[in-house]
Amino acid sequence: MSLDIQMTMTDRPRERLAKSGDSRMALWAAYALVAIGSLAMVAPFYFMFVFATHTRAEIFNVPPPLFFGGSLRENVAMLSERISFWHSLGWSLYVALASTALTLLFCSMAGYAFGRFEFKGKKWLFALVMGTMLMPSFMNMIPTFLAMDALGWIDQPRALYLPGAASAFGIFLMRQFVASSIPTELIDAARMDGCGEMSIYFRIVLPLLRPALGTLGLITFIASWNNFIAPLVVMRSPEMYTLPLALRSLQSPIDTQWGALMAGSAIATIPLLVLFVLSSRQLISGLTTGAVK
Amino acid sequence: MTLNPVKWRLPPAWTPYVLLSPFIILFLAFGLFPLLFSFYLSFHSWEPSAGMDAMQYVGFGNFIFSLQDEWFWKSLKNTFWLAAASGIPQHLIAIPLACFIHAGIKRGRNLAVGVYFMPYITSTVAIAIMFTALFSTNFGLINQALKELANLPLIGNLLPAEPIDWTNNSDTIKPAIAIVVFWRYVGFNIVLYLAALQTIPADLYEAARMDGAGRLQQFRYITLPSLRPIMYFGVTLSVIGGLQLFEEPFILTAGNGGSDQAGMTAAIYLYRMAFDFNDFGAASAMSWLLFAVVAALTWLTHRVFHVRNSPT
Amino acid sequence: MRTIARPTQDRIGKLRGIVRRLALPALLLASFCIPAQAQTQTPHTVLTVAAFPSVDDIVKAAIPEWNRRHPDVEIKLVSRQYTDHHTAMTTSLSTRSHLPDVMALEIHFVGGFTRTGALDDLRLPPYNFEADSTRFVPYAVAQVTGPHGELTAVPTDIGPGTLLYRTDILAKAGVTEADLTRSWDSYVAAGIKIKAATGAFLIPNARDIKEIVIRTGIKPGDGIYFDGNGHALVDTPRFARAFELARSVRQHGLDAGVLTWSSDWAEAFRHGSLATQMSGAWAAGHLANWLAPNTAGLWRASQLPEGVYAAWGGSYFAIPKGSDPAHKALAWEFIRMLTLEPAMQLAAFKEQNAFPALTATYDDPFFKEPIAFLGGERARELWRDAAMHISAVRVHKQDAFAEEVVNGELDKVMEKGKDIGEALADAQRLLQSRASR
Repeated sequence: MSLDIQMTMTDRPRERLAKSGDSRMALWAAYALVAIGSLAMVAPFYFMFVFATHTRAEIFNVPPPLFFGGSLRENVAMLSERISFWHSLGWSLYVALASTALTLLFCSMAGYAFGRFEFKGKKWLFALVMGTMLMPSFMNMIPTFLAMDALGWIDQPRALYLPGAASAFGIFLMRQFVASSIPTELIDAARMDGCGEMSIYFRIVLPLLRPALGTLGLITFIASWNNFIAPLVVMRSPEMYTLPLALRSLQSPIDTQWGALMAGSAIATIPLLVLFVLSSRQLISGLTTGAVK
Repeated sequence: MTLNPVKWRLPPAWTPYVLLSPFIILFLAFGLFPLLFSFYLSFHSWEPSAGMDAMQYVGFGNFIFSLQDEWFWKSLKNTFWLAAASGIPQHLIAIPLACFIHAGIKRGRNLAVGVYFMPYITSTVAIAIMFTALFSTNFGLINQALKELANLPLIGNLLPAEPIDWTNNSDTIKPAIAIVVFWRYVGFNIVLYLAALQTIPADLYEAARMDGAGRLQQFRYITLPSLRPIMYFGVTLSVIGGLQLFEEPFILTAGNGGSDQAGMTAAIYLYRMAFDFNDFGAASAMSWLLFAVVAALTWLTHRVFHVRNSPT
Repeated sequence: MRTIARPTQDRIGKLRGIVRRLALPALLLASFCIPAQAQTQTPHTVLTVAAFPSVDDIVKAAIPEWNRRHPDVEIKLVSRQYTDHHTAMTTSLSTRSHLPDVMALEIHFVGGFTRTGALDDLRLPPYNFEADSTRFVPYAVAQVTGPHGELTAVPTDIGPGTLLYRTDILAKAGVTEADLTRSWDSYVAAGIKIKAATGAFLIPNARDIKEIVIRTGIKPGDGIYFDGNGHALVDTPRFARAFELARSVRQHGLDAGVLTWSSDWAEAFRHGSLATQMSGAWAAGHLANWLAPNTAGLWRASQLPEGVYAAWGGSYFAIPKGSDPAHKALAWEFIRMLTLEPAMQLAAFKEQNAFPALTATYDDPFFKEPIAFLGGERARELWRDAAMHISAVRVHKQDAFAEEVVNGELDKVMEKGKDIGEALADAQRLLQSRASR
């Protein structure tokens, strides 16, 4: 009896599963399904990397190449000579980092406000903010351009990372988290100890929000990294292009250098992979603690 | 009483406003302004390249046009079909898969989840190229795989003899798009549910087993209700995302919505109205109509999954 | 799953915390310190040219010559993907700000910008283009003539339509070039013979035939889908014939059902399963370079069937309204250099395969040179002649929509067996309801 209580979390279910004969068959079948599913998930990714190492003519072959070829250097050289690839990569990195940092800060502050405070017009404001999630981004191109122009922010990176910091998705996530992970007693106790409001935020709330911050950070980074509509609207000089825009400028209606394009896309994906590996634990614990309770 | 150096303290009443201010300022400039602009525009007729002064007031003309436009309704129908066809399997498959990973995979869990999450990271350019190649009629891997499968005795009879023209045929473009959307977002939902499963206390399962409940009953009476709040979050995102589907159909139909507009979602039609057919006013009106539809469905989702303890 | 010892983990955690706390202020500080653009040392004029592939290559190639003539004027080339470029141009034009000094435009888009008055009228000073406009291929200039006679852009290259065919496949089927080009009906008949003898398809897509046939016999002053008064023209014999031919092609299995620029299409060329391709003259270059270099010498070029002349693509340079007035004269100089100088036009032709729009180049011996890929044929003369015969069509605001509708109806006719008369009537109805928007 006492042994049962000790083995609480994840070990038990697996042993339970492995018990009977046809349970084991079902288990192996399930493993097989997951494996096949994984292959399907990864295949397009894999092919992107394979195509990055082939020439354009080889890519259009039938059947398409299944294994790595030898043209990677050639493709990367083509990349650097047609567009300032590494330069754009640098910009993408800078914008994504700034975007992530600001989004985390502003959304957590706002999420904390929505989650733990009462104030006039709270419901309406939140509904309004949620409402902006419902408008397709390309409809906002012209008014965004107008606003950026009025502010003099055209061709400046701040035009890319500042607007995104007011992310409706970010606030939604943060609010859910704050509501579930930040006990009011803790805040009240801190207040009674004479702690100032802003230091409550920085010293108590933020650390507790760490899983949520990790999650939102990853999602924001990915979104900023892959975004091409915003730079298209705001960047007017090729030196200021971010990666998606630069890679797209390789595409011509009749003359795309597919090998180079694939190489560029593959290289562009690597930082995201690295980031994901680093933060995967945060992500798994982070996405739901708030939303569950 | 603690002795503190004289320091200006933020009055608690002001705190929410201070916390909100950076967000609100940005939101007003870049979130609200575009909304208002498009609202204003929906009452005008406008071709952007003619300049700002070319806007002509047409009252409700754009709305009336949209509501009478057969292509608008067709695009809404396509959108609902695609949102359901891609969204429902996502959750139906993500939940059991997450349960299995949770229960059956210990050492490789991060790897398994990571692999399923990869499509979410892949850029649109890569997805475009990959999937147009995969769905290629004569040379794509999907058709080649089907051709091999057709040789198998039983399943082979169910499969069509001719290679399927996925992207050009109006009957097959929808399933193709649904497959791509499913592929892209199922990992996201798996991560969601997996994490939620990890927070369900195991003693609940213990107690149920003690009472003689079978695995299926445990799933139905413990797992599902515990997952309910996360289902609300996930389904809301799927509803909003599904109704605004743009990238995947755009990629597979090369931007035009496909043969007989079978792959034309509302968002794509909007885009075409604005940028191909040069009717920004009508596009704005339609975007607001779409907005209303999505808002209504989001509210409906909220009612269905009404979470009792969530802050509103 | 802990893999590192606890004290190290704490240190890592502390380090992360410090980095995180410093990162934000550092980034914010950096962002406001990074200048938006590099400041140039010597004050001189910068001319912005916005383009897309492959026009950007033409501009790039011309920059050294420009720098020789105007060492104090720098050309800044802003290149974007084809659609992105036109979207960015539309966005800039909507607010009349951050416009380039010279705007490259593709023929598909230039009509819309002409119609909305987004581009400077080049007849006016300081451009005075009217006299020189006659030095270009007539249809290219007619295409950018506005409703009140304004000339809004200068053509730089054109895409005269041609029929490329596999001489070996034709020989095997006992079909001659004349059989292909005599009439559309003989073209289809030839296709049936080719299919029977060699198994090769006649054309990539039945839609291609529809595209050309609807462009024939257009009355002057009319557009493809709408006439001069905005009335839809889809319910006419011109469209009916196009639909019938397309359906016939599909029914006889003569089209490969592939879309241009897909890997299916590329493969069809390499494997010799396509007998003909109707396209702009530039297609020959692509076939030679990378699409199907293994088929060199097997292709020939001819005019399109039944004496039709059509254009595939074509680029223009324009000066947008609202661009910097101080730069307009220089911008015009640049455009003149690229378009009115035979040497520059020929250079673009030889290096970037951009067929010149300037008729003065047509006497150059380069046109008489045999093209190896086409078995030594002097195809450039062919294309030159075609170019002079192409006629301009009036553009209408709903042309893009009309194209969509007609394609949809054609698909229904070919795939679902819809009656042609009914399909065209439906299309007519839909187009008519939108014509006045």
